[in-house]
Amino acid sequence: MSAPPLAFTLEAFTNVGFWSGVLVIAGIYAVVALGLQLNVGYTGIVNFGQAGFMAIGGYSMAILVLEAGFSFWLALPAAVLITMAFGVLIGLPSLRLRADYFAIVTLAMAEVVRLTAQNARGLTGGNKGLYCEFEGVNQTCFDDSWRSVSDSILNFVDGFWADPEPLLPLLLVVWATVAIGVVGLGYLQGTPWGRVLRAIREDEDATRALGKNTLLYKLQSLAISALLGAFAGFFLALFLATIHPDDYEPIVTFFAFGVLILGGLASYRGVVVGAVLLWALLEGTRFVELPISEEKTAALRFAIVGVVLIGLMAFRPQGMFGKREEMVLGD
Amino acid sequence: MATEARNGSALLEVGGVVKRFGGIRAVDGADFEVGEGSITALIGPNGAGKTTLFNSITGFQRADSGSARLGGEEILRLPAYAIARRGMVRTFQITRALAAMPVIDNMMLAAGGQPGERFRNLIVRPAAVRRHEREVRARAEELLEVFDLGERAGAYAGTLSGGQRKLLELARALMTQPRLLLLDEPMAGINPTLGRRLLDHMQRLRGEQGMTFLFIEHDMEVVMNHSDRVVVMAEGRVIAAGVPQQVREDPAVVDAYLGGAA
Repeated sequence: MSAPPLAFTLEAFTNVGFWSGVLVIAGIYAVVALGLQLNVGYTGIVNFGQAGFMAIGGYSMAILVLEAGFSFWLALPAAVLITMAFGVLIGLPSLRLRADYFAIVTLAMAEVVRLTAQNARGLTGGNKGLYCEFEGVNQTCFDDSWRSVSDSILNFVDGFWADPEPLLPLLLVVWATVAIGVVGLGYLQGTPWGRVLRAIREDEDATRALGKNTLLYKLQSLAISALLGAFAGFFLALFLATIHPDDYEPIVTFFAFGVLILGGLASYRGVVVGAVLLWALLEGTRFVELPISEEKTAALRFAIVGVVLIGLMAFRPQGMFGKREEMVLGD
Repeated sequence: MATEARNGSALLEVGGVVKRFGGIRAVDGADFEVGEGSITALIGPNGAGKTTLFNSITGFQRADSGSARLGGEEILRLPAYAIARRGMVRTFQITRALAAMPVIDNMMLAAGGQPGERFRNLIVRPAAVRRHEREVRARAEELLEVFDLGERAGAYAGTLSGGQRKLLELARALMTQPRLLLLDEPMAGINPTLGRRLLDHMQRLRGEQGMTFLFIEHDMEVVMNHSDRVVVMAEGRVIAAGVPQQVREDPAVVDAYLGGAA
């Protein structure tokens, strides 16, 4: 309490471990929001279920490793396929609905997934979460294979950079995924396929009238978004070294929407900048020392993010990278 | 104009189409034909069921019963996109420009059979995708020139004037290379000069490419002077069909327009 108001501690800038964690989280949210950008910004389907796809991806991977004896590297693609199939299954009946009803269905889907995970204790560990299985003295954890890869990367880096940050390997993998996502999705957007998606965003009936099977494209859009959700789910599981139902609450999806709004609709670069900005803001404000109790400061951090979002809506509704014309013209 | 259903060959045969909304039969057993290479007008008082009939035969609303054959093939149960791919393409009463997309993208979107629209081809055959894309672009630019929209190719479609949007919608529909174009009130809300040009385009396309048109129109002068055949609807039924002169003198038609249709 003796600190002067609004001082930053030196730790704010020197804590490499802390900021590495923030960057990992920002990268995970960038991956999640890339999927949302594809759905919301480029296809015009409002997907509120990204947290559900993350949970399906994470849980499938862990259950395949721990219960079905899959190798980690086989479990990853299998979990991706499961998540994408789940997306298609959800999309088939619900993508025929109007945008707002679809949003409600996806939100409900995500909650059903989370509550199922919480209660299917035999499979998911319920509220204990999933991490390791013990058989006598042997212990198997879902991230064993990843740990060994991570360690060898760290050993390699140690050769020319002493005491590397333990999160470095995950940081690299997450941000490599973000980079591939931005480049890959950017390429897709410029193709005739991407053109059909944008046309659906503008006017689905007009697009059908021109001979495009719009449901198929919306399903593909949702499946790709589910794929990205699955990857984000893997990364979150590796970062937290556990999979717990509480980590897949709807708030996760809403933070990703915050990222989307900050970055701007119909821009993949915007998503990346938005993710870093949101989490720098959210976590950086931890170091602001105010003459009030810590709980109040914690609450204030979210208030600051809220104020930034409101200010953005008032003065730059298209977000940082969104195109104003597209926003004004798009109905 | 003696083009009434050349040799009796009908491109579109609509038989007994019924579309109910609750207790109301918006389309109540409509029967008519559209001759290959003809310009056929669909007229009728407000609420006669013209737009609902359009929606039913193009797959935008599911008809309760009846049949619609395009070139002999039954299409009434097909989804909208499949009907469009078979060559029967519609426009809407209120123009549907894809506003936040450039004019050129509006055009290129409409081309049929694009390999680049299949996700797999983007990875497996990128060269074919690019080649086809160049062809589509060239065709789109050419058509835009014809419709005097060449200079606006790069602009967002939402920045076009109402009349230009009508032209864009027609040009865009032509990108699909249709056999039969269904136009829902193409002259509505545009100035007479542009309307005139739209009609000229229709006549030219019919003359040069043998394209067939079915259009809904309220302007009797346009209907009488520019169509080979007129189909008149009232209260969900087709009450008359024939060459303009014949339809004009039909007592049932006169009755319908005076509000006395029984």
